[in-house]
Amino acid sequence: MANAFVAAFEILSFGAIIVLIVLGLGIIASMMGIFNFAQGEFVLLGAYITYLAYAKGLPIWAGMVAAPFVVGALGFVLEALIIRRFYAAPIVAMLGTYALGLIIREAVRGLIGGFYLTVPEPIGGSIDIGAMHISAWRFTIIVITLLVMGLCYLLLSRTSFGLRVRATLENPSLARASGISTPLIYGATFAFGAALAGLAGALIVPVFSLFADLGLRFLIQGFVAVMVGGVGSFIGPVAGAGVIGTLSAALPWVMAPVVADVLVFVLAIVFIKFRPQGLIAGKGV
Amino acid sequence: MSVVREAIVADADDEVDGAMADGAAAERVNDRAKAGRKILPIVEGLVLLAALLAPLVLQDYLTVFATRVIILALFALSFDLVWGYAGIMSFGQALFFGSAGYGVALLARDLNITNIFLVLPAGTLIGLTFALLLGGFLLLGRHPSSVIFVSLGTLTGSYAADRLARGWYYLGGQNGIPSIAPMSLGGYDFTEGPAFYYLVLGILVVVYLLCRFLVRSQFGLALAGLRENEQRIAFFGYKAQHLKAIIFTIGGAVAGLAGSLYAFHEGFVWPNMVGVVVSTQVVLYVLFGGSGTLIGAVIGAVIVEGVSFWLSDNYRDIWPIILGLLLLLVILFRPLGLISFVLGERERVGSFGAKQKETRNAP
Repeated sequence: MANAFVAAFEILSFGAIIVLIVLGLGIIASMMGIFNFAQGEFVLLGAYITYLAYAKGLPIWAGMVAAPFVVGALGFVLEALIIRRFYAAPIVAMLGTYALGLIIREAVRGLIGGFYLTVPEPIGGSIDIGAMHISAWRFTIIVITLLVMGLCYLLLSRTSFGLRVRATLENPSLARASGISTPLIYGATFAFGAALAGLAGALIVPVFSLFADLGLRFLIQGFVAVMVGGVGSFIGPVAGAGVIGTLSAALPWVMAPVVADVLVFVLAIVFIKFRPQGLIAGKGV
Repeated sequence: MSVVREAIVADADDEVDGAMADGAAAERVNDRAKAGRKILPIVEGLVLLAALLAPLVLQDYLTVFATRVIILALFALSFDLVWGYAGIMSFGQALFFGSAGYGVALLARDLNITNIFLVLPAGTLIGLTFALLLGGFLLLGRHPSSVIFVSLGTLTGSYAADRLARGWYYLGGQNGIPSIAPMSLGGYDFTEGPAFYYLVLGILVVVYLLCRFLVRSQFGLALAGLRENEQRIAFFGYKAQHLKAIIFTIGGAVAGLAGSLYAFHEGFVWPNMVGVVVSTQVVLYVLFGGSGTLIGAVIGAVIVEGVSFWLSDNYRDIWPIILGLLLLLVILFRPLGLISFVLGERERVGSFGAKQKETRNAP
């Protein structure tokens, strides 16, 4: 019983991490039609900023709060300078964002060297329920993920900004004709997606520690999750991330980890092949 | 004025390759197309000449490095066929390269087979089989797959293979398979050096010529059409998906050949060889050099590897950053790669048959 509970918590917390990482990727993919290869590096930057704050002696939570704003601002600038040119051609966008990601990753590698740098958890210790102990920080991540998910949903479905974003997604020329500044909306959406990645990086750095290939590790999982969930909506990628995260955390409990690792990807690709629209089809929120 | 220019160009044409100059046609063909027609053979000839002379002027350790570059150029060729000619973004080309490498390494380790006439066809076949399976699955089917799906599917395949190789004890796990016996022919062992270099160069030239023939054929024309406008080619009655699967498989076979040569040249295989790093590396080569021209892929591999080798002593840390910046610049401002500085668009697309050429260029 206790074991099953711990396993369930592990699976839930890993699923939450994947959802958190995929949120930004999914918003950019769904709302803008771009598969952003630099997303993993935005996660890395978020982690790096948190580490920097810690190394400078600031409180860790200060770094975690700053990370999304800094990465979001960077995303806004990059969108205006570079990403903007890629909207017409999705494959070129992949290559261009890959190049951007390469630059960011190698720059961070140059700054931190080939090390694994640890950052302590801002909320340490464990929560005890009877004889069972669960990590307090992982529990916090689950709570924050749920909060962020809810806020994103409300932002896109209930605010006028969300309405503009959805209008731009559905029909850019009509949106422009209605007086919506689509370049600004694209910029803001990209910055928002980048900020979510920065937040994800900041929150997971105590769990995975900081190393240059941190983002790469999650990038492909993220892409697969977005495709499984379905591009075009907000809910789709989140659902896909839940499925992929849960599967990759749960399967190693019942089979050899190597097989489980590969099986998740094979299952996902087969699923997408036969259901290209993903779990949740359609556009909108 | 125009007549004078025609005459000058015609003169130059006669000098450089008289065989290709056709007096009557030359009058009608415009300058640019004519200039384009001549440049490609010159570039190819220069590259071949440089490659032939390289071991004579290079020190031994540089010849070994040059051999590796030639093998990587062969690998780049395979990606160029798939992306440059058919417009299929294969982010998992290393899957075929590396699996062939692992395959021949296992042949050498477990079965003691190192005969060149067995291992190279075996490697090619492994690459071909994997490409047929993956390409068939991703590209064929009732509904045509989206470009995004194919590129992410190949990327995922390569990543999954990397993870599998890392975790599978039989394949050596993280360490890969070290100290593979050298490739042999009769009693002769191919070890690093000029002999291996010329063997690899010979293979590259043969494969290059075969690819050149392929992309200049009717099949190649259909492929170029696919890249430019897939729907239109489908409306003409071509089975677009089949064409794509065929070229993808051929690309896999070439990658497999390159992978088996690489395994024997380096003497070991390791998980990175099937992984995303090598997959993206080959994308870099081809984008730099110029996709859609075979020689562009070769030049790209040589330049990227050469500069990287040259800078690695002093600027090892910042080289990947420079590489990323250059790649970004190429994508933004020179989508056709470095080769487009010397090669016209007309030449890149190619001309198919003398009669067509005349009618197309008629004013």
